[in-house]
Order: sequence, then C-alpha cells, then structure tokens
Amino acid sequence: MSLLEVSDLRVHHRGEPIVDGVDFELGAGEALGLAGESGCGKTTTALALMKLLPPTLKQSGRLTLRPPEAEEPINIEKRTEAGMGLVRWRHISLVFQGAMNSLDPVQRVDTQIAEAIRLHEARPKAKEVRERISELLKTVGLTPGLGRRYPHQLSGGQRQRMMIALALACRPSLVIADEPTTALDVVMQAQVLQLLENLREQLGLALILISHDLGVLAETCDRIAIMYAGRIVEIGSVDSVFGAPQHPYTKRLLESLPVIGGERGLATPIPGGPPDPGEMPEGCRFRPRCPYAAERCLEDPRLREVAPGHASACHFAPWSEWPAPAAPAAAEGKG
Amino acid sequence: MSGRWLVGKATAALLTFAFVIVFNFFLFRVMGDPTTQLARLPRATPQEIQKLKADYGLDRPLLGQFADYVGDTLRLDLGVSQTTRRTVWAEIKDALPWTLLLVGTGTLLATVLGSWMGVVAATRRGKRADDGLLGFSLFTYAAPEYWIGIILIILFAVEIPIFPAGQQVTPGAEFSSFIDNALDVANHLVLPATAMTLMLLGQYFLIMRSSMVDVLTEDFVTVKRATGLSWDRVVRRHAVPNALLPLVTLSAIQFGAVVGGAITIETVFSWPGLGLLSFDAINDKDYPVLQGTFLVFSAGVILANFAADCLYFYLDPRVQSK
Amino acid sequence: MTEVQTAPDAGTPVVAPAGSSAGDRSVRELFLHTWRGRIGLGIVGLFVLTAIFGSLIAPDDPNASSLAVLKGISADHPLGTTEFGSDVFSQLLVGAQVSIIVGFSAAVISAVLGAAVGLAGGYFGGWTDRILDPLENWFLVIPTLPLMIVLARLLSPSLGVLIAVIGLTSWAGTGRIVRAQVLTLRERAFVERARALGAGDLYIIRTHILPNTLPLIFANTVLIVAVAILSESALAFLGLGDPTRISWGTMLENAFNAGAPSAGAWWYVIPPGLCITTLVLAVSILGYMLEEHVNPRLREHR
Repeated sequence: MSLLEVSDLRVHHRGEPIVDGVDFELGAGEALGLAGESGCGKTTTALALMKLLPPTLKQSGRLTLRPPEAEEPINIEKRTEAGMGLVRWRHISLVFQGAMNSLDPVQRVDTQIAEAIRLHEARPKAKEVRERISELLKTVGLTPGLGRRYPHQLSGGQRQRMMIALALACRPSLVIADEPTTALDVVMQAQVLQLLENLREQLGLALILISHDLGVLAETCDRIAIMYAGRIVEIGSVDSVFGAPQHPYTKRLLESLPVIGGERGLATPIPGGPPDPGEMPEGCRFRPRCPYAAERCLEDPRLREVAPGHASACHFAPWSEWPAPAAPAAAEGKG
Repeated sequence: MSGRWLVGKATAALLTFAFVIVFNFFLFRVMGDPTTQLARLPRATPQEIQKLKADYGLDRPLLGQFADYVGDTLRLDLGVSQTTRRTVWAEIKDALPWTLLLVGTGTLLATVLGSWMGVVAATRRGKRADDGLLGFSLFTYAAPEYWIGIILIILFAVEIPIFPAGQQVTPGAEFSSFIDNALDVANHLVLPATAMTLMLLGQYFLIMRSSMVDVLTEDFVTVKRATGLSWDRVVRRHAVPNALLPLVTLSAIQFGAVVGGAITIETVFSWPGLGLLSFDAINDKDYPVLQGTFLVFSAGVILANFAADCLYFYLDPRVQSK
Repeated sequence: MTEVQTAPDAGTPVVAPAGSSAGDRSVRELFLHTWRGRIGLGIVGLFVLTAIFGSLIAPDDPNASSLAVLKGISADHPLGTTEFGSDVFSQLLVGAQVSIIVGFSAAVISAVLGAAVGLAGGYFGGWTDRILDPLENWFLVIPTLPLMIVLARLLSPSLGVLIAVIGLTSWAGTGRIVRAQVLTLRERAFVERARALGAGDLYIIRTHILPNTLPLIFANTVLIVAVAILSESALAFLGLGDPTRISWGTMLENAFNAGAPSAGAWWYVIPPGLCITTLVLAVSILGYMLEEHVNPRLREHR
C-alpha cells in the first residue's frame, strides 16, 4: 500500500489548466523528485496536495493519504478546511522555497515551533514542548540556544534548518520540500540536502522534493517525475530516467545539464518556451518544441509504462536510440 | 540589542524642538513687528510705548532678546495673555488635559476601528465589504472635520437631542461624586470624539489595508496555514502583528493632522482645550497665547513622533539588532 | 511589461516620463477610459467651470441682504438664505472660485518649492543636503495648521497671503519624494555616463533628472491640491480667510457664528461642506490614479 496516491489532480485558474491530470503514487519512506521548468505546475501541485491554493485556483482529483498511524485512509479531497487543519503538519509538512520569508519575522523561532506542536497535540506540558524543540534543533544540527532568536538573527542556512526542524515538529510521514536549497550557496545546499537524506533514513520520512535542478534530485531521490505544462510526461526510478530517458523533453533537459569532467559540448537550450495555460497546443503539449514531432503527436499521448516502473507520455516510447533530429519543428509551430 | 537607533531618534527630536524655539522667536519678534502687539493701546504716548518695550525687553539687542526668550521658554515662562492677563502657561495648563482627553479618545478609537476595518477589507479584497469601507473612508478623509462636527451637532444635538452640542460639562451642574462628574464629561465628549475619530479613521484604514494586503502575500502566511492554523488564527496571530508595524510609523505622520483637527473641532464644540485657546487667540490677536500654543502643539507632535519610534523599536525585533 | 523597462539607452526611466507620447497617451487613457477617471475629471471640470462662470450664472447677488433671514428651501432661494437673508445657492456658486484658485496656486508653489529643494538636496548631496534635509524634516514634523494659523495671523489675511502660507507649509512631502527619486537616478548608468562625457550639472538635471522626476512631482501636486483646498477652508472657518471674498470655508464660518447648527439650518451648513468634500474627493481620486500610474509598485494595492 502506498503512502500517498494522487489520481487525476487538476488545478484551474479561471478555466485555464495549471495542473492538468497528474497521477502518481508515493511509498512510505520514498523520495520522489518533481522536476520541470518554472511555471510547469510543480509548486501548484505541492500546494494542492495540502489544499493550500489561493481561492482563485480550483482543484479537483483524488488525493489519498495512508499514514501508518491512521487506521483509515485520509481522503484529502473530501476534507473541509477545518478537517485539513488536522492533516496539515500532523501528516504532511512543507519546507518552502526561500527560507527568508517562511517564518514570522516578529516572533522568536521556538515560539513558532511550539505553536505547531501545541496545535496538534492535546495539552502538552511546557517542559515537554521545550525539550522537544531542543531535540528537534539538535536533529537538524543547530544548537538549541538558537531557538530564542528571531528569524532575521539567523543565517540563510540556519533559517532553512530551522524550517526543516519546524517541518519535523509533529512527526509527519511526508515532507514536501519546494526548492529547499535555491536561496543557499553551494556549500549550504549540499549540507541541507545531506540533512534531508539523513532524516529520511533515520525517521523513515517520505519526501517529495521539488526542484528545477536535476542534479539535486538525482542525488537525493529514489524516483523522479518530469513535469511539462501541467502534466507529468515521464516518471520512473532515478537510474532509469537519467540512464535511459523515454521522453524527448527529458532527453533535452538532461542534455542541457552541464556535465562536470565530461566532454564539454555545447549546452543545447530547448528552443521556444513552455506554452501559455490559456493556449495549450493540441495533442502532445511538447509538440511545438519537439524535434521528433509527427502527425501522430496531434493525438493526446497518455502516460503509460514503457519499461518496468518507468512510464512516459510519448507516442514513440520506448526509445531505444535517439536519432539526430531532422529539422526543429519549433520553426513551424507557434511560440 | 543596541539603543543607538533610539538615541539617534531622540537627538533628532531634540534638534527639531530646538529649531521650533528659534523659529518661534524670529516669527513673533522679528517678522511680526512687536509694536503691533502693543497696538491694543491705541492712545499710548511714545513714552508709554517706550516703557512697555523696556518691560518686554524689546529695546535690547536681538541676541540678548533671544537668549532671554530661550531661558524663559525653558522655564515655561511664556509671557502673559493680553486678554485675560493670566500667564500663558496657566492658560495652557488648564487647557491641555481637555485636549489630551479629546485627542487621546479620538486617536485610540480611530486606530482600533481603522485597523480593524483595514483587516476586514484586506481579507475580503475586491468584495463588496472592501469597496464599501474604501468609499466610506475616502469620504471621511475628504470631508472637513469641523463640517462633520457641525453635522453631528445638527443631527444628535438639535434634531434628535441626545447629546450636548458643546462644552465639557453641563454649566452650573453640581456633582455628588467623581463618577457623576466623569459621566457628564463623557456625555459631552461623545460628539467631538466622534468627529475626531471620523477625521482620522480614513488614513488609518488605508494604511492598515495596504499593509495587510502586503503581509498576506508573504510566504510565512502560507507556511502558517500549512502548519494547520486556521485562517482566522493566521490573520490574528501572525498577519496583524506584522501589518501593525507600518501603521505605527505611518501614524506618526498623522499627529500633525490630529493637532489641526483639535483646533477646528474644539472650536465647533466649544471644548476648552488648546485648540479653542488658540482659536480665541487668533480672534483676539493675543500673540503670546498664540505663540505658546504653537510651541506646545509642536512639542506635542515631536513627542508623539518619538513615542511612535519607541513603540516601533519595541514591536519590531529587526530594528533592535540593527 | 510596463513603461519601467522601456528604452534602456534613452535613459532607463524609473517612471513613465510625462513628456513622452507613450506616457501621455496612457494618462489620457487612464482618465478617459476608466469610470473612476471620468467621474473625477468630470467633477473637477464642473467645479472649474463654476469657478469661472459662477458669478455670471448666480441667480442673486451673493452679498445682497434681505429680510428673509435663515429661511429654508424655497422657489426664490433653492438652497435657502443666510443670516443676512442672502441667497445660499449664489454664495455657493461664487465660493468655488476661492477653492479652485487657492487649491491650484498653492499646489504649484508647493510643487516648485518641493521640487527645487528635493532636486538640490538629492542631486548635489553634501552640505546642500545636510542643510536642506533637516529643513525638510522639520516641515514634515511640525503641525501645519497651527503653523499656517500663525503665519496667516501675522500677515493680514488676503487671497495672496493664503496661497503663500499654504504653499510655503506643504512642500516638504514633495521634497522628500523628489529627493529619494533623484538619489536613485543619480546613481544610474546614464547619468554617470553623461557626467563622464563632461556634461554640466544643469544639463544633466535638465535632460536626465527632471524628465524622470516630473511625473512624480505632477502626481504629488495633484494630491496637494486636495490638501490645499482643505487647508483654505479650515483657515477660513477659523476666521483667517480673505474677508473680501466668499468661500465655502467662510460660508461655514458665518453659518456657525450665526448659530445655524442650533437653528437646525442644515441648508446653510450642508452645501458648502459637501462641495468641499466632493471636490477634494475628486481631486484625490485623480491624484491617487496618477500616483499609481507613475509608481507601478503601488498598483496592486488599491
């Protein structure tokens, strides 16, 4: 039984699709990477999982959570706002991008962690809460004394660790981390990623890691899902997706990665830009930018398994080899 | 924590006040020809005027006069009223509590109501409640406060006589207890304080609204909701305290307007505060009183500004560690 | 994309320059194609026309006294009469003149002063700024109405004195805004380039600084018109208006002194105040719209 089951998740903004039929499953303790260009619907998906979207965005689709300590599965899509209050942080917590503004600037950080603990536990003793907090801070590699500080008195790395401590405060079974390392320098990035990985092993946390940085995901995740224009176009284990990509978009994404120590070829940027949610192209959404686009691509491709545990939404998958593209289709397509 | 920021603010406040004193001196002694102040003795002989000038120290060199003036001012010797012949400071001391009562009540009500309205509007942005509150506060901002005062009198003292139209206590009334007395004053306070509140409400509302709109887009609001806090609690516990910070600094700008309102509103309601005192001084050309009230008004505004800075220092931890 | 990013080489305007055709067109669009703009412009236009032609279309001599003292609405007097039996409606029409003249002239003085002080302090910095900045601060902190009262009392009240007094006491806000804008402009690449090419200060101010500051000054000035109209009415109400002219403020003063409130003579009290409110509201709306237009950062807030 998987921990989280997402099926046909859709998010609309004034009738325009932002997320358009996303399905995936996540096992307990598993780390799933969600990758794609900015604006492809990664963050929207993350917020939809916790029903945190602003009222102008409407979501639909089934979200089933099966936390180990709960007897019945939780149907998130059916929960009211009050009902979500019991699910949020208790079962799923969130580490936001840009730790700068993720904490209330006029409250001490331990007050903010205590607030979360008190919210989800029946009358904890003040002393217990204090001990929990200092333990949490130690877990994320901070000295407990830092809890008495205000957010602006912490460094960027400390703040992000504090955010992770906050995320762990109620012992959730799933943590969603949205670009957790973007605002940090390279050394800090590595440390925070290492921390997330250790925590996952120690606490058996499941992790959804959202990043535009494929390198980060490759290091941390078991499986990876590539999103394009509101849909998952490829999903599979990190090894198989990186080793043998089955979607032209993934292929191009990987090609645009600089390879350290590798032959420094010309980084080929993907021609054109992602489509506007208001004017999605007919059929495959990557078609206008795809060098392999053909007649068949005017049909909507479905995400289907092309190798064990590896699915792709390309009509031509499985790809055993990638021929040199004839002519870029982008020239005739719009955009 | 460093108090250097506060010390800087205090120095600036003192400098501003020093400049007020210099300005006041030149305005009344140099620009306003002092002999015009003596013009209420039209038949005075040159000798008498000479003697008066000597009494006022007007025959001495300017610098000496200035030194005298500064010394006198710091000793609260602000001269003698030309109409009542009492010392200006005695007049001010009688009037000040009434102004503080009126201004304090008005400011308190306007802050509380205005920020509450701002929160309501910001959390219902673009809805009917927001539009309605925006329209109402723009109207109260544009309407002259003394006109609103007069309309309040017509409505609630003349047409439906439930409140007294003026003064601070019922004339000639004798009170058996302090509470009776206080209730009578409170009854007289209702209309002028309402006028004062309406005058200030709009600005506080607009500031709080835009400040709240800003704060509600911050990441930490989403994070707080993600921790399971209800929307109401996120607003109350986290958004409002953050949104109040700009309100504190920006409300300092309002203090000047508060003083202006005190003058006109006290005039309308015959409220015996500093405003009415300076209004009478305008009409009687009682320059020592006018000068004294201007000094006190300026000092009050400077002090209020400094108090706002202190409050900000206390509320925003980011300032304290600068 | 807004005007903010246009023409990087022509001097990267921080705000839409007023002189450019693009800026002009959108201001025109702003005022003529939004209902807020149309209403605001319509009301201000109506009051300006009243100020010009008010004395011609007034049904009565506004100063003529009669025995019909403090009478309510009637066929002869559509808004009743004053304590001297004069026609309130005629006084109202004539009174528009003072508000319009004082409002606009004082705002112009305030704009010129504020712009000059802000430009000088912001551009030259150093000692100029060290003297001008505290001066500006002082005028910002000091309560303006008492200051105006003191000045107006010392000089004897007339239209010119009112304009001067209001203009001289309300420029500090503009100065502050202009100074901040000039400070950022001064560091811009195109100004540094011009300076490196040997351009003089006056030339740089005229060609680079001023064009990029004017829209801001203009928007601010419109808002000051509203403040000036309110100030004039308050001074007049306190008995410091021009005694030879009828203004809405002096009407309220006379009504108040004649005991109109206690007589329940609402027809004498409500119209002048409503005129002030409407005009100030209309001018403020136009000012806020301009401010938003000039400063796109404000756009989301309102």
